[in-house]
Amino acid sequence: MSAIETTYVEPSRRMSVNGWAIVVIFLPPALLLFTVFVALPIAEAAWYGFYNWDGYGRPEKFIGLKNYGYLVGNATFTRSLINDGLVIAASLLIQLPFALGVALMVAGRITGAVWFRMIFFVPYVLADVAAGLIWHFMFDGGYGLPSLVTGALGLAPYYLLADKDWAFSAVLIVILWKYFGFYTMLYVAGLQGIDKSLLEAAEMDGASAFQRFRHITLPLLGPMIRLSIFFSVVGSLQLFDIIVPLTGGGPFETTNTMVSYLYYFGITRMRFGFSSAVGVVLFIICVTFAFGYRRLVMRDD
Amino acid sequence: MTETSVAIEDAAAAHEASGRSPPGLASVALFAALVVLAAVVLVPILATALNGFKELGDLQSHPFSLPRAWVWKNYWDILTGYRYWQVLGNSLLIALLTVALTLALSSMAAFTFAHLRFFGDRFLLNYLQLGLLFPLATAIPPIFIKVRELGLLDSYWGVVLPQVAFSLAMSVLLLRNAFKQLPGELLDAAMMDGCGYFRFFFYVTLPLSGPILSTVAVISFVASWNGYLLPLVVLNSESRYPWTLGLMVYQGQYSTAWQLVLAFITLTILPAIVMFLMAQRYIVAGLTAGAVKA
Amino acid sequence: MSLRHLTFAAACLAALTAPAFAETNVTVLHVSENATQKALWDKIAADYNAQHPGVKVQFKYLENEAFKAKLPTMLQSNDRPELFYSWAGGVMQAQNKAGFLKDITADVAAVESTMSPTAVDAFKVNGKVVGVPFEVGEVAFYYNKKLFEKAGVKAEDIKTWDDFLAAVKKLKAAGIVPIVVGAGEKWPMHFYYSYLVMRIGGEHALADAKAGKEGGFKNATFVEAGKRLRELGALEPFQPGYLTTKHAESSGMFGDGKAAMDLMGQWLLGMQAPNSASGKGLPEEDIGILSFPIVAGGKGKATDTLGGINGWLVSKSAPPEAVDFLKFFSEAKYAKEAAAAGAYIPVVKGANAVITDPLFKRLADDLAATTYHQNYFDQDLGPAVGRVINDVSVAVAAGEMTPEAAAAAIQDAAEQQ
Repeated sequence: MSAIETTYVEPSRRMSVNGWAIVVIFLPPALLLFTVFVALPIAEAAWYGFYNWDGYGRPEKFIGLKNYGYLVGNATFTRSLINDGLVIAASLLIQLPFALGVALMVAGRITGAVWFRMIFFVPYVLADVAAGLIWHFMFDGGYGLPSLVTGALGLAPYYLLADKDWAFSAVLIVILWKYFGFYTMLYVAGLQGIDKSLLEAAEMDGASAFQRFRHITLPLLGPMIRLSIFFSVVGSLQLFDIIVPLTGGGPFETTNTMVSYLYYFGITRMRFGFSSAVGVVLFIICVTFAFGYRRLVMRDD
Repeated sequence: MTETSVAIEDAAAAHEASGRSPPGLASVALFAALVVLAAVVLVPILATALNGFKELGDLQSHPFSLPRAWVWKNYWDILTGYRYWQVLGNSLLIALLTVALTLALSSMAAFTFAHLRFFGDRFLLNYLQLGLLFPLATAIPPIFIKVRELGLLDSYWGVVLPQVAFSLAMSVLLLRNAFKQLPGELLDAAMMDGCGYFRFFFYVTLPLSGPILSTVAVISFVASWNGYLLPLVVLNSESRYPWTLGLMVYQGQYSTAWQLVLAFITLTILPAIVMFLMAQRYIVAGLTAGAVKA
Repeated sequence: MSLRHLTFAAACLAALTAPAFAETNVTVLHVSENATQKALWDKIAADYNAQHPGVKVQFKYLENEAFKAKLPTMLQSNDRPELFYSWAGGVMQAQNKAGFLKDITADVAAVESTMSPTAVDAFKVNGKVVGVPFEVGEVAFYYNKKLFEKAGVKAEDIKTWDDFLAAVKKLKAAGIVPIVVGAGEKWPMHFYYSYLVMRIGGEHALADAKAGKEGGFKNATFVEAGKRLRELGALEPFQPGYLTTKHAESSGMFGDGKAAMDLMGQWLLGMQAPNSASGKGLPEEDIGILSFPIVAGGKGKATDTLGGINGWLVSKSAPPEAVDFLKFFSEAKYAKEAAAAGAYIPVVKGANAVITDPLFKRLADDLAATTYHQNYFDQDLGPAVGRVINDVSVAVAAGEMTPEAAAAAIQDAAEQQ
């Protein structure tokens, strides 16, 4: 690196004909596609949400806020909200710390660290749908993992996926299995970016491993951690592909997420006004989080 | 301290660190824990693969052991059938179209935002960034209606276009940042030589942006390859189903024959695993870089 | 010859040969996994194609759930099938209202006179014919004779609901799983609820509820039916893990002799063997049929039947060849072949005479003698309400929902239509 840095200041260019040509040719395609498939739909969702509409023809039965009224106090919808909340809580309190712990173990020079990192990352590469189906089999009471346990203990077969109180824990386990490797990778990248000399110096000054972690490593990982929280929450709110093959929302609609609720209770029942309303609610939650989080937490990153 | 002594200290410390290994017992315990974790991660996948080699009776009685008799027929039938290749081919086509269109549209837009100032440019950039705030799932009902209105229902484009649209926000952001980091003098020099923006884009910007374009391509490809909700809602003909839908159809059809379903799952996740192993450096770098730059 | 002559000749040649090259495709979309049915249908298609060059009729299969989920969108796209399977009822009415169906009243009048009037009426909407039925079915208890013997249960003695509950207890005491049900898919459980409504409220129960009499679905009949269902559920008569068992799996379990009874439609006979772990299923002589018991004090008769009336609907844009094929399909000779092969119970009058299979004959006789035939509730009520009735049936049986709450939920769904 040169001792003297020159800061390049972009001269303010006046727009030439050539420049305008670029704007007119390069920009519209992206803007058009975005408008048609992202901006317009969300506006339309807000509009459709005011109608009782089965999807055929045009919406005709205006019902104002009734769709939203159906959601308030709706046990299944409330359950879906809670489930999404549970996923976020489990991710933040269990999955991320666990991934960080594993990252600390494999960031260093332990034998086969690279292999471990790769193995942990493999589930992330699979589609959620495939993971859900694999674990549907793994959790089967008759011949899955539970059957190994119940068989060994001489108990009657236990059907975790049919247990309305504990079926959602199966969902959480699958999510943990699938995503911890990704966050481990993120944290490893972050850890490897930490200047070793800082840690050396602290050790020589008598700081214990825990103190080194708490006062040097953790703060320096700050941006990475804040980012992983963001991904975790946004990802949790979109959960759908895992639910369908694993539980189908059951038993008794205890394992729905907002998106699976939207699909099962809106789209498959041909209730497009209602499903749009659910989409709007999800949109508001997502935007509020994304906006708020970026402003409050990630301001300096 | 003088600069030299600091440097010597650093080198000594680094040297010490590289040679030093953690105390014996702790490292063995650590290693053992990691091995157990790796097993937990791999067992479901291995069990799925192995059970594809069993007869149903063997599977039901010994789901977690090696097959008593290796049945090759399950895998062979799937590999020699057309359905498997059809769904993989569909996924590949959809993913490639998505990547191509994403790269084209987002690089063009990013270039415009990176180098040109015009009335409303800030506004349009923020407009696109709105796409970062919410996922595709929230807008599925109106997207379905929109796709239907455009006559794209049950077509590959009905899946590709919404996917590209939703990836634009992130891609434009990544590419714009990368384009801006290219030395500004290049553009100045080019303009003085009479090279217009267009030629600069094609002959300088794109060639120099290989890594970031690969990153965007990888992110885009992986997201499309594993997509489920959008094709589920948009596609009707089984002949156009990507592998994610094909998997669920197969499971619906052979629901009781778990040995067949598990074999099918194994074969359909194989491309992803193979792609990952071959290119894992790039994929991981891409995904984590994408995360860092966001 | 001048260029003009050549062009003219070419045009004439093209015009003459064009019809030979242009083939009319008729796709018939269905959900059947029954090998006998499919073989027969392919044969009928082949016969028709041979007799009508230039027309290609093809039967196309789509899995049941996928069919129900995808059909609405298919009918709006260019991939719509010309003919498609239907359970009639509210779903068909919704499809008609959306303008997807063709009025074929005039075209099929001759064919309809050969069929049972109930079946023909099932495929009319507002007086006009939109489809042609081809099969009727009955939901009944299929039981494993050997398991009944083992527990000392006699089928002939089961006449009332209380008799039935007593039999269930006896089976349980003998260590046998009394009932297998594919509650993972929900609709198999709603058969119990539906029959109970019919046995308690009689033939007007459903129609009255739909019309909103006495609180609609919240009326005493539906609540009482829920209570009876809960009575059964409280005995824990179902196989372990029944809440996640799918229909195919449950059929296979019946075929493996893992449970004594299955309340199911006639297609169980074709499914229990292929889906069983042994691959062989139960031999037919070991299977018996038991009609759903009456509820003491209820208005329903033992001869009221619940079951499907199935047929083919014609989509609006279908070419005349599609309707022509429909008439061809409905010919008596094919109906008789179907009956004889045990593919399905046809609606064509007189075809049942050739049925030899005793189980099939029993069903056909029941249907011929029926005092009131009701279509499946979840089809009759349409897509949204139908799914609710499926959901609550499972919830009530498992004790997760009170009968009153269940009835109220159905009423809410009906009002939101």
